[in-house]
Amino acid sequence: MMMGAGVGSDQARITADRVGKWFGEVIAVNNCTLSVGSGVVGLLGANGAGKSTLFKMLAGLIEPSHGEVRVFGGKLRDQVGWFRRVGFCPESDALPDWMTGREFLSLMLRLMGYDKAEVTRRVDYWLDRFELKDAANRRCGGYSKGMRQKLKLAQALAHDPDVVFLDEPLNGMDPVSRKQSIDLVRELGRAGRTVLVSSHILPEVESMTSQIILIDRGKVLAEGSVAEIRDKIPEHPTTVALESPDPRALAAFLIGREHVAGVQVDGTGKVVVRTDHAVMFYRALPRWILDNQLAVDEILTLDDSLEAVFQYLTER
Amino acid sequence: MSGSQDTTASRPGPGGPVYPQPLPSLGAVLWIAWFSVREMARRRRLVSLGLINLLPVMVVLAVRIWFPDQGITAQLQLTSLTHDTFIPFLIPIVALAVGVSAIGEQVEEGTIVYTWTRPIRRRAIYLGRLAAAQTVATVLLSVSLILCFLVMVSAGLSVITWDFLKLYIQTFMIIAVGAFAYAALFAAMGTFFKKPVLPAILFAFGWENLVANIPARVQELSLQFHLRNLVERPQAVPEDLPGLLGAILSTAFQREPVPPLQSVAVLVAVTAIAVVVGVWLLRNKEIEK
Repeated sequence: MMMGAGVGSDQARITADRVGKWFGEVIAVNNCTLSVGSGVVGLLGANGAGKSTLFKMLAGLIEPSHGEVRVFGGKLRDQVGWFRRVGFCPESDALPDWMTGREFLSLMLRLMGYDKAEVTRRVDYWLDRFELKDAANRRCGGYSKGMRQKLKLAQALAHDPDVVFLDEPLNGMDPVSRKQSIDLVRELGRAGRTVLVSSHILPEVESMTSQIILIDRGKVLAEGSVAEIRDKIPEHPTTVALESPDPRALAAFLIGREHVAGVQVDGTGKVVVRTDHAVMFYRALPRWILDNQLAVDEILTLDDSLEAVFQYLTER
Repeated sequence: MSGSQDTTASRPGPGGPVYPQPLPSLGAVLWIAWFSVREMARRRRLVSLGLINLLPVMVVLAVRIWFPDQGITAQLQLTSLTHDTFIPFLIPIVALAVGVSAIGEQVEEGTIVYTWTRPIRRRAIYLGRLAAAQTVATVLLSVSLILCFLVMVSAGLSVITWDFLKLYIQTFMIIAVGAFAYAALFAAMGTFFKKPVLPAILFAFGWENLVANIPARVQELSLQFHLRNLVERPQAVPEDLPGLLGAILSTAFQREPVPPLQSVAVLVAVTAIAVVVGVWLLRNKEIEK
């Protein structure tokens, strides 16, 4: 298991120390240790990997069987006042179907302690932002899956929380809403919030952040940026393709260099380099090119995508 | 965390005060109760419950139409209805319908997660939902009692005597106490059981009816006994054979009265214990959805 110092920047707002959860004989989450600072962090794993259970433990909705979870240094379950600074969007599609969208958001804000004028202002803003204004006075029971998802997101964000848990937030959304929601999540990250987003869809997470926590079969496999994690998989060196007018000369130069595990020229004339430390390789490459007047037209990393990292770590 | 009302310009959102002071517990209870009453009022099962509650009205109407001169006084009708319809049947069924779903349904549906992630204690959520269930149950039963009253007085205002009014107010209070106690019990059962309806039915119509009719002190283990203990027994003198048989049977299962204050204390204690247990159950509840 790979364990980084934590994900996100600044001080850790969410920490989990050897947290586990058992449901009878089934281990849903096993010995997870992580810390999350500000910024957007993706919690990534296949269906049934334990993401939602971990999420609920982090958000104080379920008690860990062992270990400890802290948000802002305390236990949310005991210090409910902290929920003023926490937003939670559940994976479940459940909404109080008898309420209208406006009533639901108003109640959620009222329970946060806002007065009537502030509730109205915030409800109007978020209904508008999620393009739900026309449906605001319709019962949630009549909402489409995408509209329900947007309302769930709105209730999680309407009180302007510092820490936001979004469990599969883009499920059922149309492409336009998906794009808007991704932009919003990135905006929240830039504004210094801690946004923990879970998803089993890699491109979704990739579009929101490069900071990830990988979870599989209840265990945290890795945490950090995709590039950092990628470098820590020695059995699968990163593959970089270099396009050059003189591929043979370039290949000859690279053989035996530091962090270069293998070099070959492929059928299209590209120099394919396998590096055991992509970050250091990328740092050294410009110097090599300039100092040795090497001709390189294009540099492509072939397998540092989230998908490749995920595949390597989970061996799927 | 620092104090309230801080603002941060870069935050996505409408701006303005970010973190207000959390609602005081009573405020949270009232808000939850208010929305829960509205929720319960919009559920379809309320219509069925309303129809069931017309049963005593039908009985009073039938007496009024078909037996106007049989000496069945308004007091006698009221005590009989309370004794044989409201206490053993209507109060438990109404309290069961609104009580078991008060908390359990939200947990089962997964909608409770939205209130759990607000800065309010779970006990406030529980008390708000329970207060709503108790209010709805009491209002439903009261409407039935008011309709009975209107049918009774339609025979003439002479019905309204001081004794009748005293009995009527007493009946209101018994119904309210019964609804509160049963709803508190059923809400706790709804929080404990994943599928609470069957155990609740077994309790309401199995245990309660069985134990309440066992002679000697065993019957004191039912709520029904204590509610009936607060009602004056109907004192009709049976003149025909079925009436006489009924009287003999009734005597065979005659309850042993206890002081009314003892019954009130038992009902209040059961309500309080059920509330404490329910709050504890919800505090330790974990959401699965």
